[in-house]
Amino acid sequence: MAIEIQNLNVHIKDNHILKNINLTLPEKQITCIIGPSGCGKSTLLRTLNRLIDSTEGVRLEGKVLVDGADIIGSGAEITELRRRIGLVSQRPCPLPMSIFDNVAYGCRINKMYKRHKALIYAVQKNLKAVGLWEEVRGRVRTPAARLSIGQQQRLCLARSLAVEPQYILADEATSALDPISSKTVEDLFVSLKNDYTIIMVTHTLRQALRIADNVVFMYLGEIVESGPAEQVFHNPQQELTQKYLSGAFS
Amino acid sequence: MIRKRIVKDKLAHGVMLAMTLLSIVFVVVMAVGLYVKSAPVLENRSLWSLISSSQWKPMKGEFGFLPFIVGSLWVTFLAILISFPISLLTAVYLTEYARPVVRKFVFPALDILAALPSVIYGVWGMLVIVPWISDKVARHFVDFSSGYTVLAAGIVLGVMVIPLLVSLFIEVFSSVPAELREASLSLGATRWQTAKKVVLRKTLAGMLAATVLAISRAMGETIAVLMVCGCVIGIPSNILEPCYPIPALIANNYGEMLSMPLYESALMFAALILFVVVLVFNLLSRIILYRIERSEA
Repeated sequence: MAIEIQNLNVHIKDNHILKNINLTLPEKQITCIIGPSGCGKSTLLRTLNRLIDSTEGVRLEGKVLVDGADIIGSGAEITELRRRIGLVSQRPCPLPMSIFDNVAYGCRINKMYKRHKALIYAVQKNLKAVGLWEEVRGRVRTPAARLSIGQQQRLCLARSLAVEPQYILADEATSALDPISSKTVEDLFVSLKNDYTIIMVTHTLRQALRIADNVVFMYLGEIVESGPAEQVFHNPQQELTQKYLSGAFS
Repeated sequence: MIRKRIVKDKLAHGVMLAMTLLSIVFVVVMAVGLYVKSAPVLENRSLWSLISSSQWKPMKGEFGFLPFIVGSLWVTFLAILISFPISLLTAVYLTEYARPVVRKFVFPALDILAALPSVIYGVWGMLVIVPWISDKVARHFVDFSSGYTVLAAGIVLGVMVIPLLVSLFIEVFSSVPAELREASLSLGATRWQTAKKVVLRKTLAGMLAATVLAISRAMGETIAVLMVCGCVIGIPSNILEPCYPIPALIANNYGEMLSMPLYESALMFAALILFVVVLVFNLLSRIILYRIERSEA
């Protein structure tokens, strides 16, 4: 199993945000984390790549085993961990540089290629993987900010893929996009799951229904129910899950 | 009731517009005033001879501003050379690395430094920097130096400018969205790589604007510089010689000029030079800012 979370508790100042989380995230599948706003979905995601560290007053307890190694302890190599766990955030966030340099950024930072030709090939490959190459070829040296929002989000995905991660975290990655771009990005995630383990936070139940292999339902910092998507959506075991899925609260 | 609110809104709009225009008018009035007062010396001497001559003999009606212009540029250049890297690294540390508790202590300390009257910096310069240059530094390079030098003025001015520049840089760096930093960190970048390749790059235009503001401030600083620069008329050939920047010239001589023809006008012309130099710096920075923003958009 790829990621195993054991008794994880996250405190931010005096607030107990994540309470005793125990969860296994299966390899090369899409796991969707659902739940109402403020239930701790994004905190859980940000704990997995330790971006939570930049939050003031944060305290982590428990274990998060990524390929068997605990990433919570002080000995964890955070930069390497983050390279292995890519992140696509809610709003597309192109770096202040060209389209090419955006995709090449992580490769350069991690000194992945010695030859410039290999870097060019990697950039092309990843732009093709997200279906952006045909749209931007001939203008890859122009600022990334000139792309449409949907294109920018695909660029951010290409940028994450370029550092050859094993996992992709997506934090409501389609919520800022128009329906067409949203569908494109969603289809991309489905096509990527053969090679990557994808953990996706989403507010849209229909999206989770369409693409999830597994679903985790969270409420007030706790996991209420988790399991195969089919089971959670069609035969939920917990009353709270039933109420949430029926739209009693959101 | 609704009418009353709309009238109040229009009134507020009008008052604020008037205040905005007033602040612009101040600058224009100042420029015109300086020009009118400088007119007599400009009528007697060509502009080129005034700014390119080194002869300063007010008794004989000779007004060459070159030593003062060079003195101002030397001191300002040195001050920015000293303050820029210190301020930049301090601001990067405070925004990218420091824990909130450190910021909580450092920010008020910077505010205190910024609020210190310039005469205190001048006294510190006279008591510490001038003897240090005279006794420790200068003897390695020249036979004798009083310590009252371009270097002393540059150091004092540089230290004075640091709190301003740090505050401006912090403001500029804080404008970078957290998501942008996280985008870089999530690719495996260290905080230093993120600061260097993302934060500094994103804020290039803002940093330039901040630096120009600091240059303008340094260029016009009077008292602290006057106390340590030596106030000797002449073009300094190195930083261990004294100098005489324009603000010091005006402050030292304004009271005495009434008995000499054209002297008042010459000093007003010195102020006009200062005004124009600061204006040109700001205009240049605006043009560069505009170009940077256009290339990034």
